[in-house]
Amino acid sequence: MSEEKEVETTGHQWDEDEGYPLKEFNNPLPRWWLYSFYGTIVWAVIYWIFYPAWPLVTDYTRGLLGWSMHRQLDEELAQARALQKPFNDRLEKMGLAEITHDPQMLQYAVAGGKSIFGDNCAPCHGNGGTGSKSGGFPVLVDDDWLISGTIEGIANTITHGHVAMMPAHQKEYGGSFDAKQVDDLTQFVLSLSGQGGNKEAQARGAALFKGEAGCRHCHGDLGKGSARDTLDGAPMEKSIGAPNLTDAIWLYGSDEATVRQSIAKGRSGRMPAWGMGTEGTNHKLPPLAIKQVAVYVHSLGGGQ
Amino acid sequence: MNHASIEKSIPLMAILTLLVVAIGGLVEIVPLFYLKSTIEKVEGMRPYTPLELKGRDIYIREGCYNCHSQMIRPFRDEDQRYGHYSLAAESMYDHPFQWGSKRTGPDLARVGGKYSSLWHQAHMRRPKDVAPESVMPSYPWLEKTELDFADVGKRMEALAKVGVPYSREQITHAANDLKTQAGLNGELQGLQQRYGKRVTIGEREPGNHPITELDALIGYLQMLGTLVDFSVPQPQAR
Repeated sequence: MSEEKEVETTGHQWDEDEGYPLKEFNNPLPRWWLYSFYGTIVWAVIYWIFYPAWPLVTDYTRGLLGWSMHRQLDEELAQARALQKPFNDRLEKMGLAEITHDPQMLQYAVAGGKSIFGDNCAPCHGNGGTGSKSGGFPVLVDDDWLISGTIEGIANTITHGHVAMMPAHQKEYGGSFDAKQVDDLTQFVLSLSGQGGNKEAQARGAALFKGEAGCRHCHGDLGKGSARDTLDGAPMEKSIGAPNLTDAIWLYGSDEATVRQSIAKGRSGRMPAWGMGTEGTNHKLPPLAIKQVAVYVHSLGGGQ
Repeated sequence: MNHASIEKSIPLMAILTLLVVAIGGLVEIVPLFYLKSTIEKVEGMRPYTPLELKGRDIYIREGCYNCHSQMIRPFRDEDQRYGHYSLAAESMYDHPFQWGSKRTGPDLARVGGKYSSLWHQAHMRRPKDVAPESVMPSYPWLEKTELDFADVGKRMEALAKVGVPYSREQITHAANDLKTQAGLNGELQGLQQRYGKRVTIGEREPGNHPITELDALIGYLQMLGTLVDFSVPQPQAR
């Protein structure tokens, strides 16, 4: 044990009786470690001076740099806004139709619209606007529009939202018709798209559709929906948004049970209003964002 | 003091150890209870309505916090996706808070009003129906289970004991307010008088059916993040 002579001990000594006394060396700390440790202390003091550090009585030391996480966020957001500003300024001045004719701005609007759509619209309408039958969320990639498929119409629907007003028809659910009549209506509605086979029930259903049940007031004389049908020969109010019942496109499903449920219990699908003027939540899209989403949705394939 | 006398006295050693270890905690935690910037109130915060409170209990029971946080951090990407960063005051009536530490799903701090209640129903029934890439499990029993809210007044009383300012009136009307908010009866005025205008009324399918656990959960989700109006600058938001 040659080290024993070079290194000091702490002076503690145990087990002398055994003949092998235990001694505690007092080895110096490795130099690199010691100086790194001193370095961290110096660093901490510098940090206290420049960055927020110590709590005081009512406030805390803010540091010479005045750094704060919130200010850094503000700066980053401002920087991003500054980069987008030239484009946004142009976009703001342009009409919706005008954007679709300017390749560069179209590209910008579609790119922005896509990401806004992904965050806010895709949960219901699906990624890329493929819709979902589970909640009656319309497909946006086809050319069947409930209200309007023009770019202005799309922007309008996004801004103001839409609430479906299909009432319940069966007595148990608050309507005024019995189960049998609802069956008849179901048969007639199925026949509009070439389904179902019970001719007698269809005839009874047709009478109800055009008469007492009042279906034609929203779905039109021919059941082609408020966007393209007529009511007593006059064009219909498009904002009703009643779907076309004669085609193969269905919000909730085309099978008998689903159609019957729609008639019996009604449907109250709701597209939220995304315009800033509407009260309620913090999830509002500024007019520019609505413009971008409208351009994006219009570009999906079904825009008119 | 002689070092040997500390080492040889266990009580003295224990007390001094505790003191040294406590310094870190004291410096880091205690200021949070008095520093102005951490206890500032913001306008709009109110205790949860009875329906939201029951919904929150279900949120905790089902372990939603295991995959969803309720804490938007002050970074650009979070700001742009979720909205304004969370303020401390927004959790002031949470016992316990639901900040969470894991995001398998998205942050929910401002999910209120973002989706329609119909969407929430479809989503809870089977998340893949509305988001094919979702890994969230289905919760189909929530819409089939009747909500047991006999205890909601007691729960409010318990929360009042730990500092949530529920008034006597709010506690007495708890069951009624819960029904109103679920869309079952129409005394909207009383509910809004007790909890303010920012109360989302549930959308119910027509017909006579009981209030379900899903109704309560959606009531809670639709409230999240909607109480503070960030279109006007908030004191903490700097």
